[in-house]
Amino acid sequence: MTEFFTPGSSDSSAEESSSISYDIAIIGAGPAGMSAAITASRASVSVVVLDDKPRSGGQIYRNVDASPLPDAEVLGPDYIKGAELTTRFRRCNAHHIRGVTVWHVGDNGEILFSDNGTTKRLTARQIIVATGAMERPFPIPGWHLPGVMSAGSAQVMLKSDGLVRDEAIFAGTGPLLYLIVAQYLRLGGKVKALIDTTPKQNYLHSMTELSGAMRAPGMLIKGVGLLNEIRKSGTKIVSFAEDLKILGEEQAEGLSYTRGGKEYSLPASHIFLHQGVIPNLNMTQALGLEHDWCKQQLCWKPKLNRWGQSSKSHIAVAGDSGGIIGADSAAAMGRIVALNQLVNLGVISALEGESEAADDLTFVASQQRFRRFIDRLYRPLDQQRIPESPGTVVCRCEERTVADLKKGFELGGREPNQLKSQTRCGMGPCQGRMCGHTVSELLANWRNQPVADVGYYRLRSPMRLVTLAELSQFTDVTPKAKKTEEVN
Amino acid sequence: MSVNTTSQKLSSDVLVIGGGIQGASTAYHLAQRGVSVTVLEKDTVSRHASGVNAGGVRLLGRNIAEVELSKAAMQRWQQLDDELDADTGFRRRSLINIAADENDLDSLRSREQQMHSLGYFHEVMLDKRELLERLPHVADHCVGGVVSEQDGYAIPFHSTQAFRIAAERLGACFCEGELVEQIRKVGDSWLVDTKTQQYQAEHLVNCAGAWGDLISVMIGDNVPMSYSAPMLMITARMPHFAGPVVGAVSRPLSFKQFENGTVLIGGGAKGFADRANNTTRLDYSLMANGARNAIEFFPIMKTACINRMWSGLEAYMPDNLPVLGKSMRAEKAYHAFAFSAHGFQLGPVIGEVMADLITQGETRFDLEPLRVNRYERKTL
Repeated sequence: MTEFFTPGSSDSSAEESSSISYDIAIIGAGPAGMSAAITASRASVSVVVLDDKPRSGGQIYRNVDASPLPDAEVLGPDYIKGAELTTRFRRCNAHHIRGVTVWHVGDNGEILFSDNGTTKRLTARQIIVATGAMERPFPIPGWHLPGVMSAGSAQVMLKSDGLVRDEAIFAGTGPLLYLIVAQYLRLGGKVKALIDTTPKQNYLHSMTELSGAMRAPGMLIKGVGLLNEIRKSGTKIVSFAEDLKILGEEQAEGLSYTRGGKEYSLPASHIFLHQGVIPNLNMTQALGLEHDWCKQQLCWKPKLNRWGQSSKSHIAVAGDSGGIIGADSAAAMGRIVALNQLVNLGVISALEGESEAADDLTFVASQQRFRRFIDRLYRPLDQQRIPESPGTVVCRCEERTVADLKKGFELGGREPNQLKSQTRCGMGPCQGRMCGHTVSELLANWRNQPVADVGYYRLRSPMRLVTLAELSQFTDVTPKAKKTEEVN
Repeated sequence: MSVNTTSQKLSSDVLVIGGGIQGASTAYHLAQRGVSVTVLEKDTVSRHASGVNAGGVRLLGRNIAEVELSKAAMQRWQQLDDELDADTGFRRRSLINIAADENDLDSLRSREQQMHSLGYFHEVMLDKRELLERLPHVADHCVGGVVSEQDGYAIPFHSTQAFRIAAERLGACFCEGELVEQIRKVGDSWLVDTKTQQYQAEHLVNCAGAWGDLISVMIGDNVPMSYSAPMLMITARMPHFAGPVVGAVSRPLSFKQFENGTVLIGGGAKGFADRANNTTRLDYSLMANGARNAIEFFPIMKTACINRMWSGLEAYMPDNLPVLGKSMRAEKAYHAFAFSAHGFQLGPVIGEVMADLITQGETRFDLEPLRVNRYERKTL
């Protein structure tokens, strides 16, 4: 439940009571957002944190203090350690507005969100976007059929409802895929097969980055350990799989793949796909921040300096929404951007900011070497990002296929926005989340130009569907008083 | 697509500035008559108002100065897809303006009298029962309305592209990413400089939309034009509840439901335009008013989900009428801009008017009320 400040309750700070604007607004309560809030919450600073989930923790620490599982320890130590962070976050002074949907963030500091069927508005001098990552779309033939889900959704079901789908196939690549399969197995779930699409050459290419990875041996061992655990359970693992296709007309009935030039197929009614995560772009794009195409991670990310500050100086991006860095770096970046914004607000000096952030800045830099290794090793196959088969659906909302887009391209839709106007690809409720990257890469291919020259969709609010009734009722939220004690 | 040589691009009979629907239609009509024409567009064709407007194809409620043009355009729309061999998305659906009270009915009655006296009979008043028959979901308090049967909507981006592609088929050139920096008349030629090129033509047409005043000044005509950002929103698909396009006599309400079930809601509320940066900002409190209005007139829309909101850059004259016709200060220069948020429907006929002015020196329409210098002071 969302709670609000009690107007007129005891308040020692005259400055705060006269203000109608928050000093800092943080969007997202994952590791980056929570750490930023803890660091930013000082006596004279009003901080508000908005999150769409009823409990803090983000994706990684989802429900960490209220797991439906009898023994949440099976989800692993990386999950359990989130409880410490969520506890500190709960105790900090930030105003935490939970279970609300932020659907507009303007570069003028205006934030609009849906709360129990009404629209609320607040304003902030500084904004921290910490909206995390989303799974990379997996546009292969049949990926839109019922029965096909992302491995991340399998994990959400696990963390939120303790739900396991037996005899499912997991396919793709990346450490999160192995973690989810391992979590499934630990809970007694039966996994039909893990179809690994990490190509052989990735292992070779990534070796050049291995020296960097060795600086973070703990993390490296973690990845190898998971695969060993899956192997030991007796689960079928197929390596170096290619040409993935979902079988079935109306509903997923299985998965076909090739290995060493031979075609195989496996029947299954539940198929979970995963090939890594990419920044959740909708908010940073809708804010009009400058973005770059990252060749290492094959995704768009906002242009940020080492303090996480974007092309608009009062807007910072922390955590995976600024480029995939993982939970520990995200937490460190949360603290770094918060310190920088305290400097911007004149609460602390630049020197104090530098010294307080020193350790975190060093940590984040050191992790980048390991990230290069991971990104190289789990680089998703071109054929799984840039679909060639004419019938493969690219835009799920408007059901537009590769062939539809090719036709629109030939009619003049040469950049994403023209193609969108021409074909409606990207016009649906997901605001291009599921097709934006595919469209950028497809157009780059067809134009034979770098993705950076092709660009991305111009995005607009609302970032989530809002009903007319919600929009028609409009109230303001202001930092009128100190935070009241939070009730769990 | 035709193959055009560079020299053909750089030197043509007519140079059109602005790749919106008016520019594309002008190019089409000229190319049809064998005139060589080049269109300069600073961004991409139909990037601004022509690509993102509400797509209303409206004859109902037109200012008297525009009725003849609008009627001619409406005839063209009925078979435009065949003419251009394209899909503009035009659907004839009729347009109803709803009367919410007796005052609204009074305005409708006096409008009817005026239209009838001028010999126009395309606007027909509806009583409450007739209104309900056509719009069963309209709120109880609505007392009547007025309908124009030929009206409807089209898909703006597709319509503008349709003119462009038809024009290109006939040999017209479209140059995108060409921002005009300077215009000069040297002898009988217009010389137009962009950052990288110089274009030359005998005739010059200003179809620059929200940037029309800047081009107009370069030609030599001052205009008191302003620009703004009318806002729109579109819902996710919902069950069909409205066939006709809907407006209101005295409230900022306007919407249409497309065949796919999505509902486009306008109403004229304006956001903030930043012309220099090609961007607009939305005013969400005004959007909230629009939402309230829609619900008040159509309670079924309460649960409609808004999928996108946007606004485009629009040019306005103080009298909300376009600038249309010959330049007053320069020979062989022509204007068609500042359509004040209702130029889309006129597109098919504006190209014809421009082509007539250029190839015949005159048009069958009375453009006197739309002349570029209508705001110049006669006496000091």
